[in-house]
Amino acid sequence: MATDRKAEVTWQGDLMSGSGSVDSVTSGAFGGLDVSWPARTAEPNGKTSPEELIAAAHAACFSMAFSSVLAQAGHAPEQLNTSATVTFQPGEGITKSALEVVGRVPGMDASEFEEAAVQAKENCPVSKALAGVPEISLNAALES
Amino acid sequence: MPRVQREAQVTWEGNVARGNGAISAATGAFENLPYSLAARIEKLDGKTSPEELLAAAHAACYAMSLAGELVGAGHAPEHLDVQARITLDQVEDGSHRIVASELFARARITGIDEAGLQQVAAAANKGCTFSALIEASGTVTVDATLEGGTDGD
Repeated sequence: MATDRKAEVTWQGDLMSGSGSVDSVTSGAFGGLDVSWPARTAEPNGKTSPEELIAAAHAACFSMAFSSVLAQAGHAPEQLNTSATVTFQPGEGITKSALEVVGRVPGMDASEFEEAAVQAKENCPVSKALAGVPEISLNAALES
Repeated sequence: MPRVQREAQVTWEGNVARGNGAISAATGAFENLPYSLAARIEKLDGKTSPEELLAAAHAACYAMSLAGELVGAGHAPEHLDVQARITLDQVEDGSHRIVASELFARARITGIDEAGLQQVAAAANKGCTFSALIEASGTVTVDATLEGGTDGD
């Protein structure tokens, strides 16, 4: 079954001095998020950007896929803490997404954990959508 | 222009079917947005999902690209409304993939005609870095219409 998710953005004015807002999304989970070119490419001053939203999507997708792979291996995680850092080179595009995850997973050894993390990175739909990004890196560590 | 880094954090607890996660932005623009598998593929329940975040990213990216292209063509926009609709679907091998992003743009601009807008809307799609990425796994379509304004002098 296909799933659709929609977001609405308004923009006023030109690129450099204008501004926009992510007004609403299908779920209603967030809205009214301001965006601007200076906030996207220099100091964010509390404003989100396409790259931050992509980072959020990637970290969320990876975490969900990772929990699935871990559970299939018989070790559902107690907790996964993931970050994604997306690098944007204006004029060139997104050059990197760096995933870092720390997991609390009872009964699992480090090498199994790392293998499962690689599998989740390869298979999560957002990673596949980001296949054109030159580098997707992964750093996975078990909480001791 | 120097490179830019943007970061987000996620905490996930439990297995995929019954577990829950929370998503936060490093800028503080949003914090602890809940998400789950059920909300991602079935009932929304007010929860966001990776695809919804991508839709927001794509709409914001395209709106900026369109504003930039319009200025380049000599027509600074008064107002742009952009929607992005991302579709996640199961593909032949049983895995899930982002198969489409549909962009809908309504533009209030003075001094541009329909043909001019279509040209700029296509250029904006080429210029939006995220459109090219999505095209690696799915299709991107653009539907641009003029609203109000005048169609040239």
